[in-house]
Amino acid sequence: MDEGTVLPVLVCFRLLLAVLPLPGQHILKHDHQINSPLTSYLRLKEGLWMLDNNVDPYMGGSFHHSPLLLSVFSTILPPIPIIWAVSDAVGAWALLRIWRARQGLSLHRATTSTAESLIVSAYILNPYLLFPSLALSTSTFENSFTLLTLMFASEGKPSSALLAIAFTINLSPYSILLLLPILMLLVTSPASQLASPRPFHGSINRIASLFGEFMLYWLVLVGAACIIADGSWSWMKASWGASLTLPDLTPNPGLWWYFFTEMFDHFRPFFLMVFSVHLVIYILPVCIKFQHDPLYAAFLLIGVLGTFKAYLTLADPGLFLSMISLFPEVHGYLRHPIVTTLLHLHAALLLPLQHILWVSEGRGNANFYYAASLVMGMAGGAGLVDACWAGMRIALGDVKVESEGKGQVARWEVARWEVAQE
Amino acid sequence: MLLIPIPLLSQGTYIDENALQPAQVNTYWNWGDVHTADLHMYQLDGIVDRNLTSEQRAEFFRMEFSKLGLAASTQNYTFTTSKGTISGNNAYAVMSSPRAAGTEAMVISASWLSTAGHGALNVRGISTVLSLAAFLKDYSLWAKDIIFVISDDYLHGMHAWLNAYHGTIPSNLHTDPLEHISGVIWTALNIDYSGHSFSHLGVFHEGLNGRLPNQDLINSFRFISHYTGGLPMTVYDHLEPADLVDRWSEWSVLPSWTPAFIRRSPQLQQYEYRARNVVRHIGYQARGMCSGVHGLFHQFRIDAITIFAVPAKGPHGFHALGKIVESTLRTMNNLLERLHASFFFYILTSPGTFLKIGMFLPSAILVSVAMLFKGLGEWVDAGWVREVSEVSLKGTGSLEKEPKTKDTWRNRRRPMLSVLITMVATHVLGVLVFNLLCSRRFDENRSFFVPAILAAVSMIPPALLPLLPKNTPEVAPSSVLLKSSNLCLASTVISIMSLLNFSLAAMLALTMGVPLATSSRSSSMTTSLLRYAAYCILAWGWLVLLPEEVESAIWNWEVLGVWFAPFVCIVYAPLVMQAGIVCLQGSS
Repeated sequence: MDEGTVLPVLVCFRLLLAVLPLPGQHILKHDHQINSPLTSYLRLKEGLWMLDNNVDPYMGGSFHHSPLLLSVFSTILPPIPIIWAVSDAVGAWALLRIWRARQGLSLHRATTSTAESLIVSAYILNPYLLFPSLALSTSTFENSFTLLTLMFASEGKPSSALLAIAFTINLSPYSILLLLPILMLLVTSPASQLASPRPFHGSINRIASLFGEFMLYWLVLVGAACIIADGSWSWMKASWGASLTLPDLTPNPGLWWYFFTEMFDHFRPFFLMVFSVHLVIYILPVCIKFQHDPLYAAFLLIGVLGTFKAYLTLADPGLFLSMISLFPEVHGYLRHPIVTTLLHLHAALLLPLQHILWVSEGRGNANFYYAASLVMGMAGGAGLVDACWAGMRIALGDVKVESEGKGQVARWEVARWEVAQE
Repeated sequence: MLLIPIPLLSQGTYIDENALQPAQVNTYWNWGDVHTADLHMYQLDGIVDRNLTSEQRAEFFRMEFSKLGLAASTQNYTFTTSKGTISGNNAYAVMSSPRAAGTEAMVISASWLSTAGHGALNVRGISTVLSLAAFLKDYSLWAKDIIFVISDDYLHGMHAWLNAYHGTIPSNLHTDPLEHISGVIWTALNIDYSGHSFSHLGVFHEGLNGRLPNQDLINSFRFISHYTGGLPMTVYDHLEPADLVDRWSEWSVLPSWTPAFIRRSPQLQQYEYRARNVVRHIGYQARGMCSGVHGLFHQFRIDAITIFAVPAKGPHGFHALGKIVESTLRTMNNLLERLHASFFFYILTSPGTFLKIGMFLPSAILVSVAMLFKGLGEWVDAGWVREVSEVSLKGTGSLEKEPKTKDTWRNRRRPMLSVLITMVATHVLGVLVFNLLCSRRFDENRSFFVPAILAAVSMIPPALLPLLPKNTPEVAPSSVLLKSSNLCLASTVISIMSLLNFSLAAMLALTMGVPLATSSRSSSMTTSLLRYAAYCILAWGWLVLLPEEVESAIWNWEVLGVWFAPFVCIVYAPLVMQAGIVCLQGSS
């Protein structure tokens, strides 16, 4: 196949999947691995229905989506599968643009290389991203907005980038972790500095003014959301609060739900605080260590979210895995890529299996599924630690030849197809 | 795995659910009811003599139930398979509970054919159900509806009935919706009494696709059979060594020339008895087959067992069986929630002892982990190549110049793309073969297709092999990479499968463990081809060697939805073929 046609072909394939009546879509929509209460399509439909019937969707405690999604789908468009396909295409396109910006290539080149087609297919064909998107989970939009933010930031378009991150944070408040690396990225360059670390050279004052701009956009969006939600603040507690207070303990592949199911109620606020602060703790160390390459810092923080966030779905580690393809220079320094791959393979097989054993067959119990989600946590952790290691190790100089870069990309990508085969 | 039958590893069974209260009630089943059962039996004998059709039989059962004042009906069904259609008629009746709203139910069933095989008819089992229907409706104890089902043939009758009851009618089954419906079925007993009288009651518990019922059901039944009925329970129809003091030598597999002290050793007899149970269990579970009609219930989360009256000259008959079934129903009636407390993963080594999952799972997992490490080892090996260069070392003090070799380790690329294409191709081949096996044409020209498939699957890989890129010194040889990924994938399959169906995982560990780990390239072409042929036979040889197994596995897949056949074609055989390709690649 000609290299230049990969993106259009894959996008057509994705659109075709959206249009065709696939068997099993009903099962996907109910699957706990790819839908959390915060991203589930069924809950979105419920919220829209309540809005149509003049009931406040945020009253009942079952609806946690952002008012922005509610307004888009109730006024402009109905939630049809095509939108998810388009969102996937936008995500892949954004990933490609980030790659070009990082490599210092022209943004509108006609020709594409093998690496670029691999990047595109790594996003569109990644099963962790494809299945949530087929299940119409709104995590697809969160991922696309995250990538758009990174794309604008890499291309040095501050206003667009800040608006995009304001949207992302509105959809999923955890994305606030990415704010600092994105501000840093805006005042420096996206080019790879991993091999030659140096102190941060951007202007701090500029960061402050950019932060002010971000606050402006964000407040405007909050205001808009309040107007959409009939001037009440209740949506904030229902949608953002859900990530912090964990009202719904539906099982998911993450590490929170089981812990809080087992906990006595009087410890709950304390541990909620600990779990949330635990995520925030990573921002500064990662940003200080990788101050020379804020894009890599953002990538690592996405990995942190993909392992430890509340209401984790497979789409979150999926974004991290797909982004690995952006950094071919570190691939040679990964210590245990095959172990991570095997862990992901096991987790991807064990999660649905244990879920079936517990929920539909009744032979297992919650501990079975939790064990599988621990494997998932180990897979996420292994990938994250390895990426951290490789990002720092590369600065010490080379054990492996530079020309390996491409081969390693190929190896990594195809190794992940094993996951795709399940 | 050989350790599994050792008595020391097993532990005693116990009842975990306190609500069950087995054998705590006075039973009312009496000789009058035995007489009813006898009368039913004479009527049934008449039916057998008159050779009535399945429809007339079902109509007769429906009439019998209606005479008792129960809501009774019949169900006609037709399965379409690649070998033609199968049809039959079931009869069933619902007795609504006098004490509750009918949201929960239990089932007593009997099939027309018996588990015993050889066309044995379950006449006495059906008479028991009919007379129990007459007997049970006189009591107001029941908190759950009782459904009596007399299913046609052996398995497919009950399968059609259960699917119609739960509204999950597959596309190849044609049947009308049931006329009478009750609540959620929790537990079921299937009665199989084909002989004249019996000495022991055997329990069959394996279900479709390796599912097992909750152990509490079996344990309660054992209690009741012992204390209420006064007769021992056995696992399957295997009698314990203690029951066969003088006849054990007929059962034993030990040849008669072994010294008597070995043959009579109680430990060895125990071991042999337990091993026999374990082997039978694995035989059912690994193939995903059910050991009786009860096995069809498990897929709907209904805990069910078959009570098999082990044929003997005496001393027990309807009286003991009726009492035990009545008492078991009373115990099942006590349930407040679904059985969940006890074990779902176990191996019953003897009536009173079982193996917990923690005791038997390691045997398969160890093999799988070993394969995983072997695969990882191959992966690491593939990444490094040893370069031997001769350097002359000039020793300062020594006179002779001794050429010494210097080893340098250089790493090389490991291109995975061609390996992954090979692996995907073998699995696609498996899918194609499976579709062919399930087609009608295969069934018609079996003698032509079997050798043709075998030739095709063994010829295609060598024919396509030259298409793959050639090995160059800079990159790792693809055979090593293929072996590594093959081992890793096989290990994943085994460890995942061990949770779903332990016996199948154990069988996979046996058939794939050593062969996959020892696959290697060989310098001579002949050896490679011989090895490849051996792997081909291991992967697809069953097509020729076990035609009956193939037929029954496909029937099980088409009618009962047992995924053993697709699993072997799509997962097992391709994995072994990949090991075969490893041997070929080395030689080319």
